[in-house]
Amino acid sequence: MALMSINNLSVDHRLQSIDLELKQGEVLGLIGPNGAGKSSLLSALSGLVNHTGLVEFNGINLASLTALERARSIALQPQFVESAWALSVHDVVSLGRLPWGDCDQKIIKSAMQQANVTELANRHVDELSGGEKARVWLARVLANQADVLLVDEPVANLDIHYQRDVMNLLSDYARSGHGVIIAIHDLSLAARYCDRLCLLDNSKMVKSGRVEEVLTDKILSTVFNTDVFINLESNPPVVLAR
Amino acid sequence: MEKSLNPLLIFLVIFISWLSLGSGSIEVNVVSGLWDWLNSIDNNDALIIGEIRLPRTLLALVVGAAMGLSGAALQGLLRNPLVDPGLIGASQGAALGAACVFYFNLFSGLGALATPLAGLIGAAITLFILLGLSGSIVRPSIIIMAGLALSMFTGALLAMVLNFAPNPYAMQELVFWLLGSVSNRGLDNLLVLLPAFLIGGGIIWSQRRLLMGLSLGDQVAESMGLQVSRGSRFIILGTAMLVGSAVAVAGNIGFVGLLVPHILRPLVKYRPDKLLLPSALAGAIVVCAADILVRLLPPGRELKLGVLTAVVGAPFFIWLIWKERQRWL
Repeated sequence: MALMSINNLSVDHRLQSIDLELKQGEVLGLIGPNGAGKSSLLSALSGLVNHTGLVEFNGINLASLTALERARSIALQPQFVESAWALSVHDVVSLGRLPWGDCDQKIIKSAMQQANVTELANRHVDELSGGEKARVWLARVLANQADVLLVDEPVANLDIHYQRDVMNLLSDYARSGHGVIIAIHDLSLAARYCDRLCLLDNSKMVKSGRVEEVLTDKILSTVFNTDVFINLESNPPVVLAR
Repeated sequence: MEKSLNPLLIFLVIFISWLSLGSGSIEVNVVSGLWDWLNSIDNNDALIIGEIRLPRTLLALVVGAAMGLSGAALQGLLRNPLVDPGLIGASQGAALGAACVFYFNLFSGLGALATPLAGLIGAAITLFILLGLSGSIVRPSIIIMAGLALSMFTGALLAMVLNFAPNPYAMQELVFWLLGSVSNRGLDNLLVLLPAFLIGGGIIWSQRRLLMGLSLGDQVAESMGLQVSRGSRFIILGTAMLVGSAVAVAGNIGFVGLLVPHILRPLVKYRPDKLLLPSALAGAIVVCAADILVRLLPPGRELKLGVLTAVVGAPFFIWLIWKERQRWL
């Protein structure tokens, strides 16, 4: 059984009739041009925006869960996060336990270790670099220990070192019995780290499937309206606009 | 520091209360005066403590706690350290309500309670207009703009009331009242202030998880299962109850709600949920201490409490901005 199954999901004019499945242990990449509906899909799945259609989580209708039950099962990392206050890294990561109403130090420490931010625990978030912040925000969602992680553009504005770190972290989380959905613009990273891809354009799903099924010259050049260079055989794979 | 902050502040509240009961132009024995008053024994000490200094001290403490707590809650909700609790228009609404008592002689049957009660009604009307204006989605920018617009409008109405005051004495009385003070008010004022403080404070306290969750923005808070819109309205309601009742009883006591949370924030590691209790306690200490200072000034024309907090608070605020600026240079 799929961890999450999405049937005929629509969000007013932003998304139309999306059908998708997320399996356990899988990283699913949402790709597509700006405004395609990637963030809207993540918002709908995390309950932030109203939608029609059926979303099932472990066979249970998502709409039948309370807000807290949903938040314990599905964690969202939005694209733009900034802390209003100079909170300590430890306190930011502890926020991940809010849906559970506890401050389980063992889980918080483990999340900080996974995200490699343990040595930053007592630093204020406003003093950190962009890459360090990205790992702290991820440690916050990891501390929730949700079955499904929804992450919107986790590597935007990060250098290649942090891009690799963050993508490996998300991959490892999926492999440990969870599921991860990532909205991502970088098609090379999507090809390298995602198990399956879902290509959106103009609020509709154009294609979903294995990486080599979605990242084809014909599909990408039509959707992105430009010639594309694709080499999925190289290590790492390369997908770039010509 | 974080763990010892609340016990230290509680100790200071007790200490400042004791100091307040003992401060005034006439020397009295606080212990025996308080004991005699509690046992309804009629003597000078009991009269001064029970009828003058105890109401004044308790009002200063509760008004200060209300301003400190509402400032911390509103700054947390709007994620802005420069927000004053008066921003949501409740204090101006309360002032206008109270001014109507002076002008139209409303609730004349209620005696001294007429002013605070009318103030509370004024704050409540402003609050309902604010919530109506902000709509179903509570956004900081909308709250700030709606609060500012309401403050300006109620301020204009207040100016009109002053303009058409029936006689110079009524205007003087109103202006002095607006300047803010806890003197010459009986214990019955607590009948208005205390329930509003307890209910408003309780509402804010129940939303402390939301305040923490909002640190990373609406989206993150909502995705963590928190009811952002409903909780935000509760916080505004609680804040309006605190500010409205405090202004209704004591007039405008400025800068406490702005500065106290601002100063304490680093001591609680910037956590908006942990800022609530210390802000209430420190607000109580600051207003009570300022009121003692007012009483210790040379006799003559009394310096109003609200004037003192503004005169001391504003330069302190300027210094804080200067210090903050130095950090970024």
